[in-house]
Amino acid sequence: MKYKHLLPKLTKRFLTILAFATVFTGIIPVDASGWNNNESVRNLENQQPFRVSGKVTSSIDGMSVPGVTIIVKGTQIGAITNSNGDYTIEVPGSDVILVYSYVGYETQEVAVEGRSLINIELNESIEMLEEVVVTALGIKREEKSLGYSVGKVAGEELTRVAQENVLNSISGKVSGVTINSTGGTGSSVSMVIRGATSLSSDNQPLFVVDGIPLSNTVNNIGGFGDDNRVDYGNAISDLDPENIENVSILKGPSAAALYGTRAGNGVVLITTKTAKDMEGVKVSVISNTVFDIPSKFLNVQSQFSSGFFSFRPEDVGGGILPDINASDGTGNGPENDRGYWAVQWDAPLDANGVPVPTEVVSYPDNVKNFVNTGFTTTNSVAVSNSSEAVNYRLGFTNMSNNGLIPNSDLFKNSLSLSASTKVHKKLTISTNINLSRSWSNNRPSSNRGTNPLQWAYSVPANIDIQKLEDYWVPGKEGSVVRSVSSNHENPYFLANEVNNSFTRNRNYGNLVADWQVLPSFNIMGRFTLDQSDEVRETKMAPGYSKEPNNGAYGIVDLTRSERNVDILATYNKDWEAISLSISAGGNALYNKYSSISNSSKSGTGLIVPNVFNVQNISSASLNYSNNWSQRGIYSVYALANFAWKGILYMDLTARNDWSSTLPPENRSYFYPSASLSVLVNEIFNMGKQMNMLKLRGGWAMVGNDTSPYSLYPVYGNSGQWGDAIRLNKPGTLLTPDLKPEEATSLEFGTDLRMFNNRLRFEGTYYTVDNRNQILGNIPLAASSGFTRKKLNAGLLQSKGWELMLGVTPVRRGNWNWDLDLNFTKNETRIIELDEGVDVIEFWSENKSKSYGYAVNDETGEDGLVGNIYSSRIKRVTDQNSPYYGYPLIGEGLDAEWLAEEEKVKVGNFNPDFIMGLQTQLSYKSFTLSMTFDWRHGGQYMSQTQRYMSESVMTQTWLDNLIHPGDLGPGEELRNWVIANADAFLLSENLRPIGGPTPEYGGFPESFSGVQVYDATFAPGVVGYHDEDGNFILDHENLGGAGTTFLPYVVSFPWDFGTPSMFDADYIKLREISITYQLPNSISSKAKMQNVSFSIYSRNIMLWTKDSAFGIDPERAFQAETSSGNRGTQFKQGIERYNVDPWVIPIGFKIGVTF
Amino acid sequence: MYRIKSSFISVLTIVLALLVSCEDLDELNVNPNGVDPEKADPNLLMATIITSVGQSVVSLGYGDVAGVMQHTQKDGWSGGHNDYDWDHNDKSWAGYYSILRNSDELYKKSDDLELDFHKGVALVMEAYSFGLITDLWGDAPYSAALNGEAGGEENLKPVFDAQKDIYLGILADLETANTLLSEESSAYSGIIPSQDVLYGGDVSKWRKFANSLALRYYMRLSEKEPGIAEAGINNITSDSDKYPLITVAADDANMDYIGSSLSDSWPTNTVFDQSTTGSYFRVKMCATLVEAMQALNDPRLAIWANKIEYALVLEPGWEDDRDEIIGNERHFAQNIADDYEAAWNNTLNYDPEWVGIPPSLSAAPQYNLNPYLEQAVYNPHVSQLNDIYKETSGPLLKSRMMSAAEVNFILAEAALYGWITGDAETYYNAGVQESLKAWGAGDSYDVYIAGATFAGLEEIIEQKWIASWTAAAEAWFDYRRTGMPALQTGETAKRQALPLRFYYHWDDEITLNPVNAQAAIDALEPTIFAAPDNKNSAWSKMWLLQGTGKPY
Repeated sequence: MKYKHLLPKLTKRFLTILAFATVFTGIIPVDASGWNNNESVRNLENQQPFRVSGKVTSSIDGMSVPGVTIIVKGTQIGAITNSNGDYTIEVPGSDVILVYSYVGYETQEVAVEGRSLINIELNESIEMLEEVVVTALGIKREEKSLGYSVGKVAGEELTRVAQENVLNSISGKVSGVTINSTGGTGSSVSMVIRGATSLSSDNQPLFVVDGIPLSNTVNNIGGFGDDNRVDYGNAISDLDPENIENVSILKGPSAAALYGTRAGNGVVLITTKTAKDMEGVKVSVISNTVFDIPSKFLNVQSQFSSGFFSFRPEDVGGGILPDINASDGTGNGPENDRGYWAVQWDAPLDANGVPVPTEVVSYPDNVKNFVNTGFTTTNSVAVSNSSEAVNYRLGFTNMSNNGLIPNSDLFKNSLSLSASTKVHKKLTISTNINLSRSWSNNRPSSNRGTNPLQWAYSVPANIDIQKLEDYWVPGKEGSVVRSVSSNHENPYFLANEVNNSFTRNRNYGNLVADWQVLPSFNIMGRFTLDQSDEVRETKMAPGYSKEPNNGAYGIVDLTRSERNVDILATYNKDWEAISLSISAGGNALYNKYSSISNSSKSGTGLIVPNVFNVQNISSASLNYSNNWSQRGIYSVYALANFAWKGILYMDLTARNDWSSTLPPENRSYFYPSASLSVLVNEIFNMGKQMNMLKLRGGWAMVGNDTSPYSLYPVYGNSGQWGDAIRLNKPGTLLTPDLKPEEATSLEFGTDLRMFNNRLRFEGTYYTVDNRNQILGNIPLAASSGFTRKKLNAGLLQSKGWELMLGVTPVRRGNWNWDLDLNFTKNETRIIELDEGVDVIEFWSENKSKSYGYAVNDETGEDGLVGNIYSSRIKRVTDQNSPYYGYPLIGEGLDAEWLAEEEKVKVGNFNPDFIMGLQTQLSYKSFTLSMTFDWRHGGQYMSQTQRYMSESVMTQTWLDNLIHPGDLGPGEELRNWVIANADAFLLSENLRPIGGPTPEYGGFPESFSGVQVYDATFAPGVVGYHDEDGNFILDHENLGGAGTTFLPYVVSFPWDFGTPSMFDADYIKLREISITYQLPNSISSKAKMQNVSFSIYSRNIMLWTKDSAFGIDPERAFQAETSSGNRGTQFKQGIERYNVDPWVIPIGFKIGVTF
Repeated sequence: MYRIKSSFISVLTIVLALLVSCEDLDELNVNPNGVDPEKADPNLLMATIITSVGQSVVSLGYGDVAGVMQHTQKDGWSGGHNDYDWDHNDKSWAGYYSILRNSDELYKKSDDLELDFHKGVALVMEAYSFGLITDLWGDAPYSAALNGEAGGEENLKPVFDAQKDIYLGILADLETANTLLSEESSAYSGIIPSQDVLYGGDVSKWRKFANSLALRYYMRLSEKEPGIAEAGINNITSDSDKYPLITVAADDANMDYIGSSLSDSWPTNTVFDQSTTGSYFRVKMCATLVEAMQALNDPRLAIWANKIEYALVLEPGWEDDRDEIIGNERHFAQNIADDYEAAWNNTLNYDPEWVGIPPSLSAAPQYNLNPYLEQAVYNPHVSQLNDIYKETSGPLLKSRMMSAAEVNFILAEAALYGWITGDAETYYNAGVQESLKAWGAGDSYDVYIAGATFAGLEEIIEQKWIASWTAAAEAWFDYRRTGMPALQTGETAKRQALPLRFYYHWDDEITLNPVNAQAAIDALEPTIFAAPDNKNSAWSKMWLLQGTGKPY
C-alpha cells in the first residue's frame, strides 16, 4: 500500500523542485501549482480578499531568502520574496493556506488564520537528495536507489540559450558524453557516450522520446552533381527544445540493457512537457533572436598576388610587371600594395582593345566580405490546461535561420500535443503527438567542389571578391559565369545557383493505456510510431565547371518508419524492511526504410538549362534507383528492483531478442544485468554534514544485431553499356552465420553529498568489452578476389572515468553561486581483430591513414581507436656516415624531402579527456550562467591547410620558413645549416630555408632569363644506401655547392601529412547568458505570471593550442557521400574545407507566461 | 461504466493484435535490392567483364604506359605519365582481380549450366586479365587466387605463383577455350548477342581471339623460354583449322564506346569534362612517336594528332621582343628564342606541322613558347591529339584488345626466327596493312609500305609500337623483351631508364598478404636503376626478364 503514496509524493517533490528551479532561473514560466486540494478551492468562493505580508529567512543563518515562491494553495495566486526576503500577497480569504517553497529548502505550508503578517523560517532541505530521474522504460526512480550513473539535464538548461539542434545544448553539461558539431547551423551533430564502442557504426546513442524510439544518425550527406556534398543535418534536430521537460542519459549498458539491441551506444531518454495537475489554463510565449557575427577567418596571406614568381619591377627592367593571371592558382605573384602595376584579370581595355595595367593592391577582407551575419529567430507558444477530466498541452515552435553563406537558410515548424485522460478510475489513456516540418531552400555544400567557401578562399589576394558578386557575364545571364579565370569557380554563383533544398516531415507519437488492475499491479500497453519523409533536391544552373552540360538536377525521397508495440506488467509489494517491484514485458519492433532517387549522371547534365525536373534529363544521362530495407526485432524482458530499509538497492534485468537480421540459428540472444547500490550514510552515522554517501556497482550485457541483408550477397548493377546489362558480383564477402555482437560492461561508482547539498560529487569507473563485433570493412588481399569482408571479429575494450563535482560556494542573502564541473576520460582499444586480420582502416587521406591495429606488444601497437599514421622523413640510417640522421632529398626538380615508405603513428583523433564547467551566479533578479567545454589532447589533420599551403596561399606556411639571414648560397650557408642541425636537419618539422622575397631571405633563381629572389631549399643530402646499409652520398643539399634552389611556390612538402596536422585542444564558451526576471510585483500588475529577458552567446572559441591556421578543431570532420562500409559518412579527425568562420553570436530572449 | 470497460478491452485487443501480427523474421531478411546470384543468368555478367577488360586496356595503353612508350606526354600532373614517378601506392591490381572475380563466377555458373560458349568467353577474359597481372607485376597469386569465399588463411592470403607457371596456366586455359569454342554456332545455347559487347555472340571470332592471345603469350616467352615459345607458336600455326587466328582487321577484338555518360565514354572526351585543363588538354603528342611517324610519312599521324595551330618562325633581323602572329605562323625576334632556350633548357621546334613534346621534359607546360603558362592547357605550338579524341564515342574510338596487325607482326617475328614456315616480310607487310585498315587508312598502304620496308626485327617492333596506339601496354612488353624501339628518357624521369614493371601495391598485398608478397619481392632482381628503391622497384626484373639481358 505504500506504493500508492510514494508515486504522488515523488511526483510532487519532483514538480516542486522543477517549479522552483524554473522560477529561479526565470526561463520557464512559473509553475504556480501546489499539490491540489479541491476542498480549499471550494472554500474560497465566498470570502473577502485579504493582504498578507512578511519576511522569509533561513533557519541556518537567519539571513533573508529572496526568490521564495509563495502560493495560495489550490490557486494560481502567487508572489515571490524580494531581495530582502520580504513579500506581500493578496489572498482571497483569511482561512487559506500559503505554500512557501524555494529550491534547496523544505516546502512549508502555513494556514493564514486571519493573520496579515507571517514571517517564516525555512529549513534547508535534505530531501533534495531524493532527486527523481527517469530511467529505462520511462520508470521514474529515486536517484539514490540507482546502481549506475545517469546523466541529467533539465529542460530549462536546454533552452537557456537557443540552439537549433538540441544536442548542442547538452554539450559540456554531462560527463561521459562527447558532442561535436560537424559544421555550422543545421549540420549534423555527433553525440558519443563513453567513447566509440563499435568500429562499424557511427556510435550514436538511441533516442527515446516519451517511449518512442527515434531514429538518428550522422549519415546525412547527400547532394547531386559532381563534387556536391551537402550535410542535411541530423533528424534529431526535429525535436523542439522548448518542448522538453528533461533529459536522462543512460550511459552504460547497465542502465540501458532494457532497450536491447540499439542501446549499445547508450540511450538518451527525453521526457516532454505535459500539463501539470490541476493548474488551469496557462499560456507561455518565448521569443529568441540570435545574430551570428563572423569573427575569425582562416589565416591566409594577402601579401602576394596570384602567380608563380614574385617579380619586382627591378627584376624585369623596371616599369610594368608581367601579366598577373589568376589561373596560376598560386599565391606567389608580385607583392601587393607596393605601388606595382600590371595587367590583372579585370584590366580595362584601351581604345585598341589592349588591356591596361592597374595597380596591384590587396583585398585582405575577401572572405569577410563574402559571408553574411547569420540570423536566427525562434518563437514558441504553448497552451496547457489541466482539469480533473483531461490534461493537455499544445505547443508550437517556429524557427527560421539565414546562414553565414549567402542564400543559405533553414526553417522548422513543430507542433506537439500531449494529452491524457482518465477514462476510468483505474485506466488512464494518454497520447503524445508531434508533427514537425523542417525545410531549407538551400543548404550550403561542404568539402571540395561546390563549396562556396572553398572558392571564396581561392580568390587571389589581389582581386576584390565583391567584383564577382554580379556573377553572370552581362548579356549571358543564366549561362555564362563571371570568374577570375577558367579554373576558378565563382563563390557567389555557387552560393546562389547551386541550390540543395530539402523538406522533411516527421511525425511521431504514442498511444498509451495504463490500467491499475490492483493497487499493487498495473499493466501498460503502448503503441509508438516514428515516421519521416524527406525530399532532397539539387538544382544546379549552368556555370559550375564540373557540370558543364547545362548544370545538374537530382531528387531523392527518403522515407523511414518505425513502430513499436509494448506491453509491460508491474507488480509492487512492500514488506516491513523490503520493497519489491517486478515487471515483465514484451516488445515488437518493425522498421522500414526506403528511398527513390533520380538524377542526372555526373557531368551529363540537363537537356535544357534551368528546367529542373526528371524529364529534362535525357534517358542515357539518367541515374535512377530505389532501395528499401526492413527489420524486425521481437523481445521479452523482465526486471526486478529490491530495496532494503532504504539502505540497499538491487536491480536485476533480463532480456531476450529475436532479430530478423541474423541467421535463424543465431537469431535469439539473451542478456542480463545486475546493479547494486549501498547508502553508507544510512548504515553509519556520519554526522549532520554528510547528506549522502553511496557506493554503487553494476554489471550488464547487451546483445546487438546487424543491418538488414548482411548474410547473403546479391549481384549489383554496374549500369548499362548501351543495350547490354551489366551485373556484378560484389567484392565484399559476407558471413552467413554471423553471431550477435555482445557488449559486457562493468561500472563502479560513488555519489557523495555534503553540507546541505552544497558539495556534490559523483565518480564512475567503467569498462566495456565489446565482442563479436560485426565489421563490414575488414580489408582483404585483392588477390583473394574480394576486397572487404563482413564478419564477427575481435574484442574492443573501452575504459573510462566520469567525474562530476558540484559546489555551491555562495548561498546567502541575494547571492547564489553554483559551480558544476564534469570530467570525462575514455580510451578504446582494439584487443583483438580476427585471425588473419591485422588492421582495419578508417580513412586514407592527406598522405596519411587512420588505422585500427590490435594491441600488440611485439610491434608496439597500442591498439587505440583513432590512431593516425603518416610517413616520417626518410633519413640517412648509416651511423658511420657524417650525415647520419640527415633528411634524404630527391633529385633535380624533386629536391624535396623524401617520405618513408612505412607509415608510423603520428597522432590520434580522440581527446585524452574532456571537461565541462557550468556556473550559475544569481543576484536578486539577475542570473549569469556559463558553460565551458575543454578538450585536452588529440590531433586532427587539415586538408584545407594542405591545399592552400601547397598553393602558398597561407600565412602559416610563410611563417614556417627559415630565414637564412644575410647568407647566400655557399659554404657559409652550408656550415650555418649544419651548425643548426638539431633544428634544421634532425627535427621532424619540415621547414624550407629561404623565402619568396629578399626580405624573407629568398635565394636567387632565374626564370625565362629573369632573376628573381624567391628561392628556397629543403636541407638534406642526396644519395642512397647500398645493400650493406652504407650511405653513398651523391651530393649535399645543404646550401653549398650542389644545392637545388627551387622557387618558393613549390616549397610545400606535398608528400607528407604531418605539416597539416594540428593539436586539437581547445576551450569553448558553450553558453553565456544573463537573465533578468521581472519582479512579480511588476509582472502581476500586467496580469502576467512571469516575464524574463536574457541576452546570451554560445560556442565562442576562447583558446586553441594549435590553430594558427584557424580551423575549428571540433569540426575536424570530412563529409563524404559514402565513406567505406563503415556506416558513417564523416571521416573523423580530418577536414577538407570545413571552414565556416568562427562566429560570436549575440542572442536575445524574452519569455512571458500568463 | 460499461462503455469505458468495453473501450478498454478494445484498446487492449488492438494492442495484442498488433503484437501477435508479427512479420516472419526470415522473410524480412530477404534482400529486395539486388539479383539473387542463384537465379541470375550468366549472360548478365558477360558485358561487365568484357567492358572492364576493355576499359583497363585503354586506361593502361592510352594512360601512363603511353607515356612510358612515348606515344604521348602530359604537360600537367605528369609525374606518373612522363616520369614513371610511381611507387607502391600507385597501380593497384585490385581492379584486375575484381574482373577475375566476375569471370570466375561466369565460368562456374556456365559450367553448372553447361554453357560452353560462356565458359570459353570466361576463360579468354580470365587469361587476358591474369596475363595483364603477370605482365605488369611478375609473380602473382594465380592457382590460389579468387578463393576468398572458401575462407581460411591460405585463401585469404593466397600464395604467389611463379610467373612461368602463370603463363603456362594461361596458355592451357586458352587451349581449353579453343576447344570449347570449336563447335558450329548452332551447337551453342544461351547466347544473347547484345550481352557480348565484343563480338555479338560470334563464337568463331572468340575462338580466333583465344588462339591469337595464345600466340601473344608464347611470343612473350621468346627470350626467356625460346623452346616453349617456338613449340607453342609452331603448334598453333601448323593447323589453321584447329587454331584459327585473327588475321584481318575485321576480326580485331575491339570494343566500342557508348558515349552516353562519363562511365561509358572515351576517357578524354570534352563533352563531360569541359575543363580547359581537362583530360584531353593535358595530353599532347610525344616527339618520339611524331618524329618516327614523320620519317615514315605515316598517314595515321593525321588520324591520331592535330597539326599545330601556329608554326614558329624565327626572325633574326627583328628588333628585340617583337613577337607577332602572321597568318598561321608566329614570328618572333632572336632574343625571344634565346631567352626561352636559356630559361627552359631546350630547343625550339620549328616544324611547320607536327610538334610533339620530348619525353620527360621539365618544361612540358611551357614547351615551344607556349603563351599560356598554366599547366595542362591548350598549347598552339604543340600537336594536340586529334579532335576525334574529344568525342565520347566514334568509329575509331575503341578499346583494342587484340588486332590482326599484332598477330601478323608476331608471325613475322616467328618467321624471322625460323620458328614457322613463311616469309617474315609478308607477315610484316600484312601487319602494316591490317593496322592501316584498322585506322581507316588502308588506301595508303601501297605508298606507305614503299617507305617502310622490312629489314628485320627492328622494323617489326617499330611498326608494332606504332600500331599499338591507345593500347601501348603491348608495346611496353615488347620493349622489355627486345629493347626496341631504343627509347631514351628525359631529364625529369624518375630514373634514367624506362621502367620494367609496376610496384607491388602496399594496400593490395604488402600489408594484407605480407609473407607471400615479401617472397615475391625477394624473387625480383634489381637493376642498377632500382636504387634507392628496395627490390620492389619498377626497375627490378621479374622472372621473365631475368638473365635475358633485355632491355638493358
